[in-house]
Amino acid sequence: MKNTASGWKVITDWLTARDRQPFAFQEEAWTYYLQGKSGLVNAPTGYGKTFSLFLGVVIDWINRHPKDYHSKTKNGLQLLWITPLRALAKDIARAMEEVLQELNIPWQVGIRSGDTPVSTRAAQKKNMPEVLLITPESLHLLIGQKEYPKVFTSLTTVVADEWHELLGTKRGVMIELGLSRLKGLAKKEGRSPLRIWGISATIGNLGEAMDVLLGTPDPEAVIVRAKLDKKIELQSILPDEIEKYPWAGHLGTRLLYKALPIVNESKTTLIFTNVRSQTEIWYQEILRQCPDLAGALALHHGSIDMELRIWVEEALHTGTLKAVVCTSSLDLGVDFRPVDTVIQVGSPKGVARFLQRAGRSGHQPGATSKIWFLPTHSLELVEAAALKSAIAQQIVESRMPVILAYDVLLQYLMTLAISDGFHAPEIWEEVKDTFCFRDMTEDEWEWTLAFLTTGGDALYSYDEFKKIDREGNFFICRSRMQAMRHRLHIGVIVSDAMLKVKFMGGGFIGMIEEWFIARMTAGDTFSLGGRILEFVMIKDMTVLVRKSNAKKAIVPSWMGGRLPLSPNLGKVLRETFNEALSGNTTEPELQVLQPLFNLQEYLSHVPKADELLIEMIHTRDGYHLFAYPFEGRLVNEVMATLLAYRLSKRTPITFSIAMNDYGFELLSDQPIPLTPDDVYELFSLDHLSIDLQASVNSTEMARRKFRDIAVIAGLIFQGYPGKHKQSRHLQSSASLLFNVFTEYDSQNLLLRQAFNEAFFYQMEEARLRESLDRIYNSKIVITYPEELTPFCFPIKVDSLREQLTSEKLEDRIKKMRPEF
Amino acid sequence: MEEVVYNFRNQTWLLSAHRAVFWKEEQALIVSDIHLGKSAHFRKAGIAVPAHIGQDDLYRLQKLITVYQPAQVIIVGDMFHSSHNNDVPLFKLWRQQFPKIRFKLVKGNHDIMKEQVYVELDVEVYDELQINEIHFAHEPCEEGDDTKYTFSGHIHPGVAVSGAGRQRLRLPCFYFGRNCSILPAFGRFTGLAMLDAEEADAVFVIANNSVLKIG
Repeated sequence: MKNTASGWKVITDWLTARDRQPFAFQEEAWTYYLQGKSGLVNAPTGYGKTFSLFLGVVIDWINRHPKDYHSKTKNGLQLLWITPLRALAKDIARAMEEVLQELNIPWQVGIRSGDTPVSTRAAQKKNMPEVLLITPESLHLLIGQKEYPKVFTSLTTVVADEWHELLGTKRGVMIELGLSRLKGLAKKEGRSPLRIWGISATIGNLGEAMDVLLGTPDPEAVIVRAKLDKKIELQSILPDEIEKYPWAGHLGTRLLYKALPIVNESKTTLIFTNVRSQTEIWYQEILRQCPDLAGALALHHGSIDMELRIWVEEALHTGTLKAVVCTSSLDLGVDFRPVDTVIQVGSPKGVARFLQRAGRSGHQPGATSKIWFLPTHSLELVEAAALKSAIAQQIVESRMPVILAYDVLLQYLMTLAISDGFHAPEIWEEVKDTFCFRDMTEDEWEWTLAFLTTGGDALYSYDEFKKIDREGNFFICRSRMQAMRHRLHIGVIVSDAMLKVKFMGGGFIGMIEEWFIARMTAGDTFSLGGRILEFVMIKDMTVLVRKSNAKKAIVPSWMGGRLPLSPNLGKVLRETFNEALSGNTTEPELQVLQPLFNLQEYLSHVPKADELLIEMIHTRDGYHLFAYPFEGRLVNEVMATLLAYRLSKRTPITFSIAMNDYGFELLSDQPIPLTPDDVYELFSLDHLSIDLQASVNSTEMARRKFRDIAVIAGLIFQGYPGKHKQSRHLQSSASLLFNVFTEYDSQNLLLRQAFNEAFFYQMEEARLRESLDRIYNSKIVITYPEELTPFCFPIKVDSLREQLTSEKLEDRIKKMRPEF
Repeated sequence: MEEVVYNFRNQTWLLSAHRAVFWKEEQALIVSDIHLGKSAHFRKAGIAVPAHIGQDDLYRLQKLITVYQPAQVIIVGDMFHSSHNNDVPLFKLWRQQFPKIRFKLVKGNHDIMKEQVYVELDVEVYDELQINEIHFAHEPCEEGDDTKYTFSGHIHPGVAVSGAGRQRLRLPCFYFGRNCSILPAFGRFTGLAMLDAEEADAVFVIANNSVLKIG
């Protein structure tokens, strides 16, 4: 293949002429691609992962058109390239266009995303470019157009870029469904099967990642690994006196004075924080301590103006910025070569994410990526040590694929209904072949169809439900209004109601959550996009502000910023704690923590590897139970809920539950019925499944999950842009919908999905069993400290809490007072 | 404690856990914000909320009428949620069970249908209503004196209560302020707006099947 095919030679000659050589993994990928296989390329950013597939497609094209590939135009769509970020599409398109130009191939490269102008879309419809870069949302919008199958008649290849980012999300499910349709169309029209490829960074379950992308297992499919050694060096910024460093709830700015010299000595530094509010605070604080940086310091997060974000990205490219404070908004792909230093503020909560961030510096192949870790509170230093150990052991977490996302399916079926309509048996075959829906039953399929045609199984004569018409097995939406409304809400990224923020005299600054601004009165100041702004009023869904000279301002907090520690890091964390607690560690992060552990031992106890520590503390807040399984937030949450449930069966009692990655707290207004004799049965594996189901039913977890589900499934009417008044009689909150479904339609699949998402999708029950078993067979140490300990403090101050009760509502109210 | 007897302004008020008030002296059953036809309105727009919420609301009202045997039913606004849909003929049919009971609607912002519709439904429509010293208006108002007190609705009142151990609950309530009371929304497809209990003279929360005075 290598020597005979002309395309291969064209490409290698071109590379040689530019003094470049293909990586081994690129040649491997080309070979498999030319054999007509599908698969997955595992390579980090900055190593030519794009070319490992794009050039394969070009080689194939030249092979098929050796004589006229220089002149052949209007060939129709050949390659569909799905990318999670619009910003990435631009960069990739640029790189592809460069290659095509130099090779003198007159292909068009188009981009299709929410930003694509209407005129470009219209032009694309008439004459599709050969390569189309697209977001998952825009792919569905394309499928929602009349006569969409025509767009894909010459399609041979689909690439899902950054697949590790999409796997495990509902956007990933959108891709699965989109692919199932594209494959179905190829089959129906008798074309050869599509070649489907994913590109993924290293994750723990690459094989599964490929299975999810390809749907039906393909024995021919291959994984191509780049096997490039990336050197990563992690160094922590240590507080001088650990005794004085906060135990919890801080933002890390106390250590800023130690980070500034690092910034000054570097060319360009990226400072990653975990939540958007933290970036605002860090930005302000850096400017306060180092005014010289004004103009060379920027801010980047998901709520600031798109244009400003693009400006920051370009400035990073050209190296004109000294530092950027950012969130995960800069995690992905785009290549910022001038960046030579990365500072991670607070725990990144996962190995893969940490590696990705570290990889933002030293982008050139072979360069060492250096990353600084700056703890926001003392115990986070243990996480730094755990990260080091995880990287050394090459432990990378898996991404759990989403299964049975009925909400996304309902949205997809509606999308099909507003374009050409669909034949149910044909689509059912395709849907059943996806990884997400392979366990879906025929009854559930019928339920989804009924949900869209009759509005559920309520078939009484007064009902006027209207959405999709059923004509035998053919389903179509004939209402133009419904179709327009649906088009506006295709997508699965659900955010709180966001309002635009603008200056009085015009000028867009960014977006802000409605609930935050609702608490403000005229004259209050807040910070957004690094600016201090004075709130004037809300008009036409826009927050009007003016510039403020105030020194202090409220920093908006955006919801949903919390990341749970990944399970793999949880295990390493436990091992690291054991090492720290052993007292003879060599890790600097752990050595510096010794005084803290001494205090913990003095006040309570420092658990050994085969022990579980439980602290029972009485404060004016009530009676606390703290337990430390060191299992990571997700397992701790489930275990806390289970324990609360089992304790609540002993006596009528109400708990407020909080947790972090180390442990959890049960807080009650009455003494907690627990003694050293009966503690073990709380961790018993008997009746585990039943108890788990009962405990999730008695908390608010499912209600919170239902919010996104309701929006995705189209139950929340979001209104038309600029037409807010007309839709007011269709407004309702997800929480209210959750109430009415629970009361009137408890068998609703979307409710069931909410319960499943709350519990079973976010963790494997097997892992919980393992943990419980480990604890059941270990020594449980109960202490009764007089005051709060270093271990419990970070949990206690956490305000995000669950409730679980076995008391009668009336009895609870009698003990309570109205809130003022 | 499915109902609580509240003696107020020399009158007897029975506050029912089913989100209604029975005014004994006037033999009046008072409810607010039923939002009939809301789920039907949503369903007509393709939003598949459960279909029988409206029917269930009417069934609950029917049970209250059977228990209290009122001479009149006063609806303090937002009887129907929006424009005409099939819940209107459903109500008409339901209404025929009680030919001797007068239905008085004090118009709310959601009551947007033509007057003729209400005539056909045998519902008297008022902008405001005064019975002895009690004044009925959909939206709460602050004015009033010893000879005039307002019963209102509109905002679907709720209060937050909290206790030791960081416990917190949000519950629908009957809210009695200095010059105006605010009734809980009767319809079950309605949310809650939190009120400050401190400024009230009395607040009764609804917890499952009980009415409890708090504060």
